[in-house]
Amino acid sequence: MATQVFKVPDIMIDGFKFGFCPGCDHGVAMRLVAECLDELNLQENTICASAIGCSVCIYDYINVDTIEAPHGRAIAEATGVKRAKPDKFVFTYQGDGDFASIGLAESMHAALRGEKISAICINNTNYGMTGGQLGPTTMVGQVTTTSPTGRNLEYYGYPMKIAEQFALCDGVAFSARVSLDTVPNIRKAKAAIKKAFEYQIKGLGFSFVEILSSCPTNWRMTPQKAHDRVRDEMMKVFVPGVYKDILESKQV
Amino acid sequence: MSHIVIDDKQCKACYLCIDECPKKLIKVSDKVNNLGARPVEFYDPNGECLGCAMCATRCPDLAIREVYRG
Ligand SMILES: Cc1ncc(C[n+]2csc(CCOP(=O)(O)OP(=O)(O)O)c2C)c(N)n1
Repeated sequence: MATQVFKVPDIMIDGFKFGFCPGCDHGVAMRLVAECLDELNLQENTICASAIGCSVCIYDYINVDTIEAPHGRAIAEATGVKRAKPDKFVFTYQGDGDFASIGLAESMHAALRGEKISAICINNTNYGMTGGQLGPTTMVGQVTTTSPTGRNLEYYGYPMKIAEQFALCDGVAFSARVSLDTVPNIRKAKAAIKKAFEYQIKGLGFSFVEILSSCPTNWRMTPQKAHDRVRDEMMKVFVPGVYKDILESKQV
Repeated sequence: MSHIVIDDKQCKACYLCIDECPKKLIKVSDKVNNLGARPVEFYDPNGECLGCAMCATRCPDLAIREVYRG
């Protein structure tokens, strides 16, 4: 008898269809979040704050109560929800532009206050939904629609290392960066998301996972080449790892 | 017998799964699906599939819906 080793997570909405471009890692990241919610039995007790960007349609895919936030304000909404209903599991799923650019003040202060929520941030080094503009994580030299000659240090300065920055906030219980470039790394990514969720359940503080993802359409690459770029370029600058874990007393 | 189940209507033809399969059992179909893409199909005449689920883990569209091992 063959045993089933992979299935569509139960929490996915019946008949859902991801609307992402071919090869986009948002689909992998959302599936990992769904698998973790399933495994931790959180379906009935979760409220999600969804962000603006390619992540916006999470409510069309994952069957939990979701509120839509204006651009950058998912963490602010999640804070309100968690404070009003502290027994709920509350998480956000945001792009890097949403989390670390327009929403940076909200995100960082929630981390400093140690709000007991979890945030997942997709780092694809650009503003994906609007056509690939330069964002807070765009790499030095990277060509985008708003930096046609490449990100120029004199003009734009440096990209932000989100997981490291958030690890420095005292209210943070867990901050990690993971990558989706290979299957083993996808498995590690899931373990990190699960740990972040468990830290919220234990009430330890703000938990955060930054996920390095490909954006083949805006990078103008095949999905295969895009993963090579994640591995050869992004992971050199945005080094994966656990930057803070208060139970392991790991600090940057 | 180990095998996978593909929903060809969900496949957007990124072909990431093809590189992932250690036994090279996934190939591009001759058919065109509802998205106008040529989806992948599972081709395992000799029962070589390991049920490792690497293809399904990689698939960004959950087009590989089920994997069975054993
Ligand atoms: C207040 C406001 N400003 C700008 C926009 C336009 N806008 C929509 S999505 C987006 C970029 C989102 O990029 P990111 O957060 O990196 O997510 P991605 O799409 O890359 O996953 C922008 C600027 C908006 N919707 N609202």
